[in-house]
Amino acid sequence: MDTSPRPHGASADTSSTRRRRAPSPDSLLDSRLIEQTLGRVEHLARWMGWRLRLLVVAALAGCLAVLLFSRWMASTPELAAEWRSNAVGQLILASTTDPALRPHVGRALVSLGRPGRHPVTVDELAIAPSARWIIDDIDRARQQHQHGQIDTLLNQPSVRLTFANGAVVDAEPHPRGLASLGALYWLLMGLALVVYLVGMVVVLASPSIRTLLYTVMCSAQAGNLVFIAAESTIVLGLPGQLSQFELPMRVVFDLLTCGAIVHAAALHPRKVPGYRVIAACAWVAMAVLGVAALAGHVPEGWWWLQATVALMGIATVALLVWSYRLLRHPFAIVMRRFGLMAVSTWILLTCAVALASADRVPSAQLQVAEIGPVIWYVFLASLLLLMPFLSKSQQVMREFSLLAAISTVATSLDLLFVAVFSFGQFASVTLALFLSLGLYAGTRQWILNRVLSRNMLTTERMFEKLYRIAREVEAHPDRTSTLLVQLLQELFEPLEAVVVEKRSPTVRVVSDGSTLMLPVPALTDKQASAPTSIVLRFANRGQRLFTSDDARLTDRIVEQLCRAVAFDRAVEQGRSEERLRIAQDLHDDIGARLLTLMYKAQSPEMEDYVRHTLQDLKTLTRGLAAPNHPLSHAEGEWKADLTQRLTAAQVQLGWNLTFDRDVSLTVVQWSGLTRVLRELVSNAIAHAGATFVDIEFHLADDRLDLSVTDNGNGSNPRAWAHGLGLGGVRKRVKQLGGEVEWREVTPRGIRCQVVIPRLSERP
Amino acid sequence: MAIKVLIVEDNPVARSFLCRVVRESFSDAIIITEAGDLENARRQIGPIDPEHVEPTADTFKLILVDLELPDGNGMELLTELVRYPATKIVTTLYSDDDHLFPALQCGADGYLLKEDRFEVLVEELQKIVRGQPPLSPAIARRLLSHFRQGPGGMGALAGLGEPALATGAGFQSSRPLPLGRGAPLDHERLTPRESEVLTYLSKGFTIKEIANLMGIKWFTVNDHIKSIYKKLNVSSRAEAAVLASKHGLV
Repeated sequence: MDTSPRPHGASADTSSTRRRRAPSPDSLLDSRLIEQTLGRVEHLARWMGWRLRLLVVAALAGCLAVLLFSRWMASTPELAAEWRSNAVGQLILASTTDPALRPHVGRALVSLGRPGRHPVTVDELAIAPSARWIIDDIDRARQQHQHGQIDTLLNQPSVRLTFANGAVVDAEPHPRGLASLGALYWLLMGLALVVYLVGMVVVLASPSIRTLLYTVMCSAQAGNLVFIAAESTIVLGLPGQLSQFELPMRVVFDLLTCGAIVHAAALHPRKVPGYRVIAACAWVAMAVLGVAALAGHVPEGWWWLQATVALMGIATVALLVWSYRLLRHPFAIVMRRFGLMAVSTWILLTCAVALASADRVPSAQLQVAEIGPVIWYVFLASLLLLMPFLSKSQQVMREFSLLAAISTVATSLDLLFVAVFSFGQFASVTLALFLSLGLYAGTRQWILNRVLSRNMLTTERMFEKLYRIAREVEAHPDRTSTLLVQLLQELFEPLEAVVVEKRSPTVRVVSDGSTLMLPVPALTDKQASAPTSIVLRFANRGQRLFTSDDARLTDRIVEQLCRAVAFDRAVEQGRSEERLRIAQDLHDDIGARLLTLMYKAQSPEMEDYVRHTLQDLKTLTRGLAAPNHPLSHAEGEWKADLTQRLTAAQVQLGWNLTFDRDVSLTVVQWSGLTRVLRELVSNAIAHAGATFVDIEFHLADDRLDLSVTDNGNGSNPRAWAHGLGLGGVRKRVKQLGGEVEWREVTPRGIRCQVVIPRLSERP
Repeated sequence: MAIKVLIVEDNPVARSFLCRVVRESFSDAIIITEAGDLENARRQIGPIDPEHVEPTADTFKLILVDLELPDGNGMELLTELVRYPATKIVTTLYSDDDHLFPALQCGADGYLLKEDRFEVLVEELQKIVRGQPPLSPAIARRLLSHFRQGPGGMGALAGLGEPALATGAGFQSSRPLPLGRGAPLDHERLTPRESEVLTYLSKGFTIKEIANLMGIKWFTVNDHIKSIYKKLNVSSRAEAAVLASKHGLV
């Protein structure tokens, strides 16, 4: 049981906490969300004030406390010997460096004493580290009594040891020294210090009820870890008065943590209805149980305590489920999973310890009670540590937490096996190792996917999308934000994705990982519009927190998009430059030559032919030079051109051009239509001898209807030999995806009908 | 008294063709001077005194300039001749507004498309000299946007110093850049009628059609077109002067 909703890291925003304290009925985006993200600078300034000083003081105090405690631990006297328990609960001398004791290695110790005093009977309880984890009330009392007595004796200059075979040895206790405290001691103390400091940083970064609760949990767990560290050094009895404090303190720590967790779950990520009542109930229950247990009014106190902690854990999980129903904040999901993990391991641990003790295998019970809680508390401490950094966590952090969780589960299971099947030391360690490794390997991916990681688009698809968007952005720069939102929606599946008119400097995760904000990049130079940002909330349909990895990924995507657009533009520019060059060359070289040829033409027909060729060349080069032509512009040019030609030939022009949309004609469409019109009109002039040409051009719903009717003397169009001109018309119309047809009209003349059903289909 | 005409054209065949066109167009006695490049043309024109530009018997009355010349762009010459009292006509193969508009801004009084038929050219030339310059839809469109946004079409001026670039830049659209000035001066503004005429022209209507549509005489339409030309020239010149004084050229 652990789940504490405390996501505020050192850099969390004060204002965000304040904002969420006011109950927000809906999860819709409000402007304050953005404002809070902009308060960072101001926040830093405040951060540098009294709180920083307080933090330094707290950190110094913590370090000093650790040092003093360690010094005191090192100065406590101890016999230079190691002890173990045997199957019947006796204390066996395992090894020693004391020459006086050396002959008695392997013998069972019966009592400790000093000359002229009644000796203290000792058994395996003398090396039982924690009274908190002794189930039986009588055993627990005996353990505390023995530890107290042993401490008094060890403070004397000499101790008399009586062994089971009657041998009596006098030994001198010596201060154990810092070096003998062991690596585990220092590790645990270090962890305790870190947990404590993180708690302090969080509460000082943004003082509020929530952060205070987190700090309470952290401090309580740091205390637990200090006791565990002290117990790890046990030789014979706990030093000093530790044994007297150990039980009440650890009970208080556990209950404090429980109360704080339930309270916090009622507040965060969303306040549940009646949170005050829930919190008050939790705290009252904890206080009652604590007072009763400490006063010794609770028979079978261990069971009560274990059950209470488990119940509180379940209550926390239930609160988080409820909270998630109210507001689909992914933090609740992550915390729920952490909570479930912690509660289930707690229950497993309790069962293991209980079974071991029920089997009356003292050594097994000792072992289980010794190792199990240590691992569980370390696991809890690491979860607590992880919490403020959930949205900032990196891969290593996640892997670490997973490994910790899985090995805790595995060890709990393994200890259960040891308790049930009475495996030996080696077998249990091996089993634990295999189980944890197997579990880790087997479930890592699954858990990564479920708990923290993403259900990602495949890279391939993403790239494909990215480049498609780049192309669309190139065509419609105004749609950048919409397209980007689409892409990110596919990527993160957020519950909400909104575009807001607000500048945000970088991509970042705000609101404890529930929200990702990114600026919409200015992909085109023309876009001088107001700066906008995209705000995504509740990743993976509210199942997942945004992490800094997501922010980095988003950053990369935006960067890639910018690059792709720039690349496309560069390619387009290169192409148009190339086209321009070709057009230029064609026009200058071939044009000049054709002109000379035209001036030197032997006959008017030849001259006309060259002139038309020259005009076609000009159309071609213009088409190359300009990428697209609005229909309205083309209309003017067509009309002017045709009017000029027809006027020169003394033919009247009837012109009717309509369109529902001023489409932009592509090069192919523009030059195709230009040359079709020119060809058809030339035909009417040259071959039909018409006096009137009527041109109808209608574009509606992407369908183009063009008809050129003359009143000339042409007839029976089917019989026409399709010369260069008409063949060209056919070819061009076909190129545009249309049909062309010639028909006789009454009383005389020919109508050419061109129909292009979908003009925009072919570029 | 014979009229002096200068034809600047590098292609000898085209040059003799243009000579024929000029001779055909006017009944007066004509002395045609031919120049194959800008250098030659400048030598023929002689030193230009910006203060003293009275038409004398020695000055050319009509100058035809090709845009693409071996040693530069015809627009350079046009810019130098801004105050030269002659009818300046651009003869070119380029019919698009990107090429012609800057030339008109440089002070050309009209343009002839070299691939046109002989008769057409004669007619067009006569019209220009009479003050009826041609105005294609594309150029009308350019004029509209030029006057709407305030004269700032830098296309011509951008190409002045860099003849090498001038032809290259010609194909690219040199959109008029608004210079961010305040209210345009009178010569930078079109009357509603002139705008209307330009709008019709940009849609491809002929002058006769426009006269019908607007219910005015065709020569009134023509007057509007002349006035538009003048405004363009004046505004371009004013702009050139502003730019020149800015660059310390005057």
